[in-house]
Amino acid sequence: MRRMRVLALVLALTMALTALTACGSSGKGNSGKDNTAANNTTNAANSNEATNNNSGSEEKDTITALLPPVSGNFQSMFAEMEKEFSALYPNLTLKIEPASWEDITQKLDTQVNAGSPPDIAFIGSDGISKYLQQNMLMDLTDTVTPEMVNDYDKTPLEYMKRGDGLYGFPAYMEVHALGGNREFLEQAGIDWKNVQQNGWTFEEFREAIKKGVVKEGDKTSRYGFVFATAGVTGKDYLNILIKNAGMPAPFDKDLKFAYTSKNYLEVLKAVRMLIDDGSMPKELSSVDAGKRWNMFLTGQTMITGKGLATFENNANQNNEKIKANDGSAVTGSIPVEYIVLPVPTFLGEEPISSTVVDGYVTFRGKKEPTPEHKANVVKAAYFLASGKVAAMTNNDLFAAHITESGREAAKSMDINRNPDNVAAVEKLLSHANPPRPDIPSDLGAKAIKLEDEVIVPKLQALLANEITPEDMYEAVKAAAIKAFGEDGIVKD
Amino acid sequence: MSQLAKVPSTTKVARKRKWRGDNGWGYAFIAVALVVFAMFTAYPVVSAFIISFQEYRPLGSVFIGFENYVNTFSDALFWKSIRNTIVYTVLTVPFTLFLSFAVAILILPLKKRTQTAFKAIYYLPAVASGVALSVVWLWIFDPMPSGILNKLLHVFGLSNMNWLGASSTAMFSLVLMAWLSSHGTSIIIYLAALLGIDESYYEAADLDGANFLKKLWYIVIPFLKPTTLFLLVTGVIGSFQVFQNAYLMTGGGPDNATTMVGLLIFNNAFKYFEFGKAAAQSLILAAIIASISFIQFKFFGKNIEY
Repeated sequence: MRRMRVLALVLALTMALTALTACGSSGKGNSGKDNTAANNTTNAANSNEATNNNSGSEEKDTITALLPPVSGNFQSMFAEMEKEFSALYPNLTLKIEPASWEDITQKLDTQVNAGSPPDIAFIGSDGISKYLQQNMLMDLTDTVTPEMVNDYDKTPLEYMKRGDGLYGFPAYMEVHALGGNREFLEQAGIDWKNVQQNGWTFEEFREAIKKGVVKEGDKTSRYGFVFATAGVTGKDYLNILIKNAGMPAPFDKDLKFAYTSKNYLEVLKAVRMLIDDGSMPKELSSVDAGKRWNMFLTGQTMITGKGLATFENNANQNNEKIKANDGSAVTGSIPVEYIVLPVPTFLGEEPISSTVVDGYVTFRGKKEPTPEHKANVVKAAYFLASGKVAAMTNNDLFAAHITESGREAAKSMDINRNPDNVAAVEKLLSHANPPRPDIPSDLGAKAIKLEDEVIVPKLQALLANEITPEDMYEAVKAAAIKAFGEDGIVKD
Repeated sequence: MSQLAKVPSTTKVARKRKWRGDNGWGYAFIAVALVVFAMFTAYPVVSAFIISFQEYRPLGSVFIGFENYVNTFSDALFWKSIRNTIVYTVLTVPFTLFLSFAVAILILPLKKRTQTAFKAIYYLPAVASGVALSVVWLWIFDPMPSGILNKLLHVFGLSNMNWLGASSTAMFSLVLMAWLSSHGTSIIIYLAALLGIDESYYEAADLDGANFLKKLWYIVIPFLKPTTLFLLVTGVIGSFQVFQNAYLMTGGGPDNATTMVGLLIFNNAFKYFEFGKAAAQSLILAAIIASISFIQFKFFGKNIEY
């Protein structure tokens, strides 16, 4: 009996210890299947720390990176990228942890808040403020070499800065545009080539999309314009429009909150007008990114937004599938020639293209990283964000190259793009939204929260015709006064 | 003197024996569960309590007193989320109980094999991933005329609805989802309780000439009172903690019409890294749930026969 009890107790303890060990893996040792990015970071930092006194740049080190599927072929290149990095720096190991777009933020946030993030993570430059506020980013200013800095176009690199600090390298700078179906545009009598080069005003755009509407009795079989506004795309719609209405950033040059300007109200009125005209669906607030792309490919809309350069590639691939009678083509889709179009301008303001700069942001753990480890992280981040890797990724995305080394490497790669679209994107990039590293991270974080808690929910209500543009404007103004004070907002 | 000295020594020996005997083994066995409970339940709760008084930072938090609580109580969105959660709870829990009870009553007279088949059918959604179910429901609630629910409306000559995109229908859509997809566990619990009622009560009622409704009212409902109380309390607790549906289906919108308190806590913690505020809101939520559970036991727990 006693033996049985001892045996049962031993078994119970073994089970409990196994569970606890699995939960609390501290990542000691560099091998094993459960070697997460966070653990590796700690290992790397620890190993550097241990050899701090006698280490040179040739010491062995592991750099961890958490990367999503940036482009279609990106994640399939990981093994090759790790191998090439090791060949370039034999003492260094680049360990890439793949993540999906859906869970990368959650994975990264968990690791950051546990104090053990990966050395490098691929995120949008607008996320820098959030992690900087946590003091979890690694400032590369004193570690980057002039050769590295000079390799980059100035504007995208500026997006990775906050104040005087540089917190990573950009991978690409994409412009947020609109996308049109060439056949439908021409049917509606729209001179798209002229629009690509000279832009259009809101009034011209409004009339153009009215012509794109096709009705069958009471039912609209084709809309003039459909923009994704549900889910994560909710904030994009307004953000893209207001940049062309004299509000390129949430704060003006005096760091006053800009979305209390009267121009903001005019844009809100315009948003409502396009739905009331019948040019956009009244269910717009529930149209997500997947739905509107489906509507575009199945001929249910003439113009869609937001449009990225890579959409031309997606449309071309679907066209090929239709041609080959491949069953994996989008159900009910028609051949579409994708045309890049600019976002209309408002109230006579200058066009300012909304841009997205994503890149390889560098993180630090709870312990101060050693200079050697920092230098190694810079090498890895630069390796990922320049040269052959950048060229392949950006070609895959149809995105413009932003490094000299990337341009050079891309020369030998084939790409099938509509030259008119290439010219249109270049034109849009010529008036890209300038970066604002002067906006303090706490102010930036407050603006993001206001956007999430007030602007996006009110926009949803505006799109659903539950509140008026004036109601929304007043709600945003009230929230802005609460967040930034009476003197912290634009009054015009 | 020597006798007095012997007394504690005997007690000590007895205690020692007791400890070495069954009591010791008992403590040894529950120690494992106790350690796991302390690490994964008690420690996080204590930790959340401490964090609720801090501005949390991975590299060193700052003590800020009651600021997180003050900010929470003055936050209109927090009160809106509480109101939304109450509305959701009031609309879902009683209906779910009623439906589960009704289905269990309908299944009860069937043959054992058929009963098992129905139990499996009703329990199936509980096994399926919530994310997968949400995707199916997003398809059902498609706002365009091609959406399944909208097609149904067209049959009756009604125009299509923006189910998840309009404040007037978004909450109802989430409630409808709860009404139609989460009864498996309750049905099985009700059925087990129904099978536990002794046949002699029904036989006696038959002899007295009681019809179905009388048997239901005088036998079934009183005997199922403990089960109903259990399902009511756990249902309310679960409903107050609801997060997944709002997160996946509406994201809390439109205009925060479906922002539940669970979603708000999640957003504060993992979207804005305001762990202190999120911890304070979690503790307030825990206090609300505890108060409601206490009231439920106080009012519905009377005359319950266990």
